[in-house]
Amino acid sequence: MEDLKYELKRQIIEELKLEDIKPEDIQDDAPLIGDGLGLDSIDALELVVLLEKYHGVKIMDEEIGKKVLTSINTMADFIVEEKAKAT
Amino acid sequence: MRELDPASELIRPDYSDYIPAMERRRMSDVQKMSIACSLDCMQQAGIGQPDAIIVGTSMGCCVNIRSFLDRILTANGGPLSPTSFIVSTHNTVAGQIALLLKNHGYNMTHTQNSLSFEQALMDAMLGIKEGFQHVLVGGADEEEQSLYNMRAKLNNEQLHLVSGASFFILSGDHGGSEGVNLLDVGSYGLIDSITDCTEHFLLSGGQSAKDIGLVLYAVNDKKGMAELNSIFRREQLFDYQIVAGTSFTNSAFAMHYGIDMLLDGSNPCLREHKKILICNNVIPENLGLILLAA
Amino acid sequence: MKIFVTGMGIVTAIGLDAEENLNSLGSLTTGISRSNSSGLMLGEVKLSNEQLMKKFQLPAEDYSRTSLLGLLAATEAWANNKNDKIIRTGIISSTSVGGMDRTEKYYFDARKNGIVNSSLMTHCNGRTTERIAARLGISGYIGTVSTACSSGANAIMHGARLMEGNKLDRVIAGGSEPLADFDIKGFSSLGIYDNAICKPFDDNRMGLNLGEGAAFLVLENEYSISISNNKPICMLAGWGNATDAFHQTASSPDGKGAALAMTNAMVKSGITVDKIDYVNAHGTGTGNNDLSESMAFKSVFGNNLPAFSSTKGFTGHTLAAAGAIEAVYCVQAIQKQTVLPNLNFTTPMKETGMKPATGFQRTNIEFVLSNSFGFGGNCTSLIFQKA
Repeated sequence: MEDLKYELKRQIIEELKLEDIKPEDIQDDAPLIGDGLGLDSIDALELVVLLEKYHGVKIMDEEIGKKVLTSINTMADFIVEEKAKAT
Repeated sequence: MRELDPASELIRPDYSDYIPAMERRRMSDVQKMSIACSLDCMQQAGIGQPDAIIVGTSMGCCVNIRSFLDRILTANGGPLSPTSFIVSTHNTVAGQIALLLKNHGYNMTHTQNSLSFEQALMDAMLGIKEGFQHVLVGGADEEEQSLYNMRAKLNNEQLHLVSGASFFILSGDHGGSEGVNLLDVGSYGLIDSITDCTEHFLLSGGQSAKDIGLVLYAVNDKKGMAELNSIFRREQLFDYQIVAGTSFTNSAFAMHYGIDMLLDGSNPCLREHKKILICNNVIPENLGLILLAA
Repeated sequence: MKIFVTGMGIVTAIGLDAEENLNSLGSLTTGISRSNSSGLMLGEVKLSNEQLMKKFQLPAEDYSRTSLLGLLAATEAWANNKNDKIIRTGIISSTSVGGMDRTEKYYFDARKNGIVNSSLMTHCNGRTTERIAARLGISGYIGTVSTACSSGANAIMHGARLMEGNKLDRVIAGGSEPLADFDIKGFSSLGIYDNAICKPFDDNRMGLNLGEGAAFLVLENEYSISISNNKPICMLAGWGNATDAFHQTASSPDGKGAALAMTNAMVKSGITVDKIDYVNAHGTGTGNNDLSESMAFKSVFGNNLPAFSSTKGFTGHTLAAAGAIEAVYCVQAIQKQTVLPNLNFTTPMKETGMKPATGFQRTNIEFVLSNSFGFGGNCTSLIFQKA
């Protein structure tokens, strides 16, 4: 799980082109969108793409998206849950 | 000013002085250059908010356009990253400037290849006539050869293609400060003759070729050059592509250069007639004309 | 100065000329259907490039669909006008993607196979306008504006301003937009499509459908008409442009930019809000736009909202061409003295309770307001007046 969270942080920094931020700077439970990391609605769309492209999991609607994209923790939990469903 | 070295690259300011990191990360050169120039010239003019923001760009945000095309290819039916699409429209430059300034005024983008800047400038002059006090107007393009082969289009493999941006504050009232007057701008497409258009342009403003001190030009074909030589004396003519390279909106650079020369006043051509005509014939069938006076 | 509309031309998913478009509007016949290639609901013009090429006897390889659609609409609008040099004439067109339909094809080929084709040169936005100008015999002011989904309306506004500024006496102005993979995939990446036909202003709206098309108006001043002898159809009474400055793509919750554009247009026209008889809304069918535009309606019209509708349920969202296509519809609304229908409306939005018109309603129409809002927060409103 810790590896997954670190991987997510690295991918977010790279895909969203967050200069001057290292994975260590992102707290697992910190808000991603708006407060905390300060991402916007365009970044939210990119996170949806990131989850599908790198982790093979799809967010099917906006309501689910709002919950899943809250923090690194919620994103990691979603990946693990969806992968468990698939197997 | 020195002749441009063909190996030279765009001189970029530290964009972090102008644009916060979270906004900057999505921007290509054309957006960053334009914002930096805009903020700089607004500061020089002491303007907080312009009444209008008008941009001329021939190819717009073509790096982002190409980036999205590449993503379509690599996604291969899979999930597609939206960011480069979102910032790919030609008016992203003008829109981003407005967003950063929280400006709700008039906002326009002109994209008529080598006449884009002239049309933006005409728009700005219309706005001043209609009552705008201060208009932010500029020309910007980023060099990108995958989508548009400019050298092939202009049939000239020797051209030094460049990126660049020049922005200005146009004001109805100079407020007592020393400045340069923008007398007139003309945009002529699908022309037969540079001579006819130039004479018509000057005449409509009550001028003739004899009233012009210096001509800054961009002409890439023999016929155009012959015509220019027939209207003006050789010593009056200066090819701004030598110092600035070639881009479809480089007449904006020429305007900046011309303004500097009029303010400086030391050029012998400007001794008697303090007027500069910018003659943009980068594409032979288009003619852009800008008339400046001290 | 009075600015008269004396000609119009249009091609959309619901018709290949003005008459066909009007008939489809009246018979509530949409042009949106499921595309064979993409599986998406799209408003496709029912003519292939080959058919368009044949119509104009053009060499196939050199023309983008943008140019072809533009030529069709522009030649209809221009009709029997002659290019007398004593009438200072210009053309202002608009497009978002330029010749992208050809560019992307050849770019993809070039990336895969290393084949480079000169058709790449049609990408430049201004090229389409030049092609139309050359066909109509217009030289001099040939211009293109590109402000995403407000482009067509801005082209018309800019033409009018050049006339008022004594630069031109007659203008053909409008826009053209093809369905290109670039846009289809682009909007797909934003997740704002409706998988059925869109439902503008409906509480259950799910998103937009893309469309393609082109439209042009011919505008003349009194001097030009005295020479051309063209009959005025109606007048362009006013226009307004403003910036939302909220977000690159989303509209502000209070519709500030939209409200400013509408107000500026009414000030320019010299009329008060109660004079507007019908509003042709931007109304894309997305959650964001329709709510934002409704809030703008509220702030501008208060409790006296005139009849309004979105016609994008017929044509799809034609991006840059939308403002020009809808300008033609507004002119037709004045001609026929009717409001135009909004398709697929059942339930008013819970936030506003507003109900658009759902069929032709013959009534006195003197002033019509047309809205177009684009990426970059660009908002434009045009006002047409019965002559």
